[in-house]
Amino acid sequence: MKSLSTLMLMTLSWLSLASPALAQTKISEMSLDRWAKMREVERYQLNIAEKYFKEKKYDVAMSEYEKYLSLYEQSDAASFAQLKWSLCLNNLRKQNTAIKEGFQSVIDYWPDSPDAAKASYLIGKTFVDIGRVSYGKKAYQETIADFPDDAVAVYSLSGLAEIAKQEKDETSLVKIWKRLAFDIERTKLTGGTCATAANSLASYYFGKGAFPDALDSLKTNYKDERLAYYVYAYVRSPLGTLVGNEDTATVGLRLADQAVSFLKQNLETDLSTDELKAKAQTQWNQMIEVEKYSRRDDKVLAAYRSMLATFGNLDAIMGSLADYHVSQKRFDQARSIYRQFKDKVLGLSKVAQSYRAEANLNEAIKVYKQLAGVDAENAATWQGEEAAAYVEVKQYPQAIQIYRSLVASDALNSQKWLWALATTQRDANLLKEAIGTYRQCENFPENYRQMAGCHRALKEYKEALVLYGQIIGRSESLAPWAQLQVGYTFE
Amino acid sequence: MNLLKSLCKQKAFQVGAVMALVWLFALADWLWIHMLPDSVLHLVFGSITGLVCWFVYKQSKSRHEDAIVFWSLFSFGIPVWWHAGVYFCEWLGLEVFRAYFARGGLAVFFVTGLIWVVWAVEQHAQKIEALRRQAFNLENVLTRKKQKRSVDHKIWNPLDPDAWYYGQKSPRLNQSLNGFVSYTVLFCLIGMILSQFQGCTQYYDLPAGGGENQAVQQVVKVQKIIRKKFILNPYSAINYNTPELDDVKLELNEVTAHRYTKMGFGEGDGAGFAGGTSDGTVGFVRLEYPGGDWNQDFGIGGDMNMLLKYAELTGQKVAKKTKAYSAAQLKTFDGVRCPPLLYITGQRNISLGNNDIKILQEYINDKHGMIFGDNGGSRHFHNQFISMMQRILPDVRPVRIPTDDPIHTRPYQIARIPYVAPHGGEEALGWFKDGRWVAYYHPGDIGDAWADGHAGVSQDIWANCYRLGVNIMSYAHIQHAKWRLAQKQSGGDE
Repeated sequence: MKSLSTLMLMTLSWLSLASPALAQTKISEMSLDRWAKMREVERYQLNIAEKYFKEKKYDVAMSEYEKYLSLYEQSDAASFAQLKWSLCLNNLRKQNTAIKEGFQSVIDYWPDSPDAAKASYLIGKTFVDIGRVSYGKKAYQETIADFPDDAVAVYSLSGLAEIAKQEKDETSLVKIWKRLAFDIERTKLTGGTCATAANSLASYYFGKGAFPDALDSLKTNYKDERLAYYVYAYVRSPLGTLVGNEDTATVGLRLADQAVSFLKQNLETDLSTDELKAKAQTQWNQMIEVEKYSRRDDKVLAAYRSMLATFGNLDAIMGSLADYHVSQKRFDQARSIYRQFKDKVLGLSKVAQSYRAEANLNEAIKVYKQLAGVDAENAATWQGEEAAAYVEVKQYPQAIQIYRSLVASDALNSQKWLWALATTQRDANLLKEAIGTYRQCENFPENYRQMAGCHRALKEYKEALVLYGQIIGRSESLAPWAQLQVGYTFE
Repeated sequence: MNLLKSLCKQKAFQVGAVMALVWLFALADWLWIHMLPDSVLHLVFGSITGLVCWFVYKQSKSRHEDAIVFWSLFSFGIPVWWHAGVYFCEWLGLEVFRAYFARGGLAVFFVTGLIWVVWAVEQHAQKIEALRRQAFNLENVLTRKKQKRSVDHKIWNPLDPDAWYYGQKSPRLNQSLNGFVSYTVLFCLIGMILSQFQGCTQYYDLPAGGGENQAVQQVVKVQKIIRKKFILNPYSAINYNTPELDDVKLELNEVTAHRYTKMGFGEGDGAGFAGGTSDGTVGFVRLEYPGGDWNQDFGIGGDMNMLLKYAELTGQKVAKKTKAYSAAQLKTFDGVRCPPLLYITGQRNISLGNNDIKILQEYINDKHGMIFGDNGGSRHFHNQFISMMQRILPDVRPVRIPTDDPIHTRPYQIARIPYVAPHGGEEALGWFKDGRWVAYYHPGDIGDAWADGHAGVSQDIWANCYRLGVNIMSYAHIQHAKWRLAQKQSGGDE
């Protein structure tokens, strides 16, 4: 492990010396300059090969690249043809041949071409892909040493980081991430790799409770508002883990304080427009969310109080606070807040929901009945909710009764209520009645699917098979599933 | 004591004791020592089974006069029939019957022992109670009528129903329960101890010989047949029937053949491995693991077909039958002379304990073994195998094995992985460590293609499955032979 670290350091020092005027094209592409330099006949032949490559007809593409190489061996794109020929072999899962006869040939015959660097990197990557990790590591190190200015050096470094992660070599991993995050000049080709490394490093530092280091890593990717958002995004999971463990709880709480303090500093203070207010509310919510991860109830409540003081008693904020009380099983406090909503209907529906969450059916029903009176326009909806509450506690007869009355009274939504009625009948094991109700539904093939299920439960296999047959005939998307069900039914 | 002495003097008892000793020794040899040749074991098991049957038959005629002797003899016969059944089923390759005999015999043995325990406890209890009734004195009882038994003196003898721990309410029931529980616990305990007993070290020797790890090449010779040329005068008065150009057939005689090289490793006479022994054979060993159907396509008509094909295609000596070992049995193999390849198949769970995993780790890392996994029929097994390998080799990630890897090119070129059904995908996975494949996973039930009937797949596929099997077996054996030589040279275990 020590030797690995030394090697890593050596390669990293190499890289730090490099002035990164990094490479120009993606691994499997050739630069436009080189395309422009080619003769028409050469371009024609290479285009044919490229076409087959893009169509994933690798064996045909290989022959076309071979043809190019035999016809235009001296051309500038010969090295590229050789590289692509090797990539074809790679895709045909002949990686050993690709390394020995493909990538290595690019390096041997065209050492000064831009493709030599790519070939060198691909040797390492291919070795890792076929399980030869030690060879892969060596090849990556050689790539970094031989082509320090090229993008492949960055990719190789990233490959080494993957190996270090697999080998659980934390020291090397952090060193590589640091180098990728802080020392490499980011280009179009390498920016993504470096940014990913910086994010990984930030997560790692958050996991260790090192907030300033994590922040520095994130700063390489984001600025201002986006920085605050990504602090919020990346800090939560490690924070939850740290606080959840007794041994690391103290570190976790310190991290929470630092994160909250940082988010507080970045809160929007200008509340002159609605847009700015909405933005500030989102930031406040993110800060409170981080507090929630630290599991400090008093701090969460205090933060909500500050938020209410800042923005006034808005339903959204009060709703969020009440939801938090529900999550802490303080239902009475939550309901007292819901009842203070300016939007009475919304408040009452939340109250009913909280009763349902508490499995207090009678109170929930009372509230729904109250809602049906207050909000007469949507009385059917509240009756539907009432029936759903009955279903939740498996009081099916009451639910069925309500759904039946809704089918009769709410003609506009009769399909919706029929479906709910059928499902409730099915759950209540009234399968024959359920089949009859499903038959009235119009959402083919789902209703047929459910009917077939009911027939099977009733051991009426012939009827089930007929229904599956109809699904096969009329529904292309569900036909394979229905065919399988036919098999199961016969079984 | 006197009874024992008189028993020992009886001729029948002496004969029985000698038979029991011989049988025990044969049993130990079959299970652990592996010293006696098969013919001797056949003779011992066969003759003793026959003798026991004869004794039981003879005694059955007078069983009404002396029931205990008959049932004792019958009971002693049960383990003999049990083991003989298992032994001969294994010898005949009747794996299913072997399993039935093994499990059924154990159950019958357990029940027989339990019946004897119940009977003995009951007899003894009745004897004690009879003695107590004889010593009954009404006056004594009247003077102490209110006192409890336990206050008088505590009886500890478990055979006595009046023992204090059986209580006042239903002592006989409690005594029976105690007998049942104690017997069951003791039986399980002995079973566990015996299952942990690993016996002597086992050896797996490679067949002596030599050879090369070369690809079997198809040689095509094109023989040109030079057609006779006639010089004709086109202006001749004689009308020659000159054939049209289209009628001229190019006669090429293709001679196609496989060029066979001696397969194996090192230098030596015949196909085999340098450092092998004249008694050595290539075997096919599978892991008998708990939790699933490890014995899919096991034995004759299954993996035996593969072993025979290996002999046919490589010319190497192979074992007479394929074998299955549990992880504990695998551990008994010598540090160097152990099976190079361990086949694992099934379609259900693989429930290996931490000890089993350690043994498999040791098998791969220290004994240079290789695991050959074969998905016998489900995606579930795929996940089970991958997670098992994750436990065995946590630092090695599985990768798709290239088609141009030596394991896929030598001795036979396998252009595409042949499979019966792609239960775990279409690509072979491998775990590469220390310069070699330490595990090969076939996702599509290769074992079913080897079995009789070849699972209904076309000849191309099953023939390729055999070739792939030969490649993997050959790879594992060559790697092991190289390692054995290196161990020998460095003064290793050998």
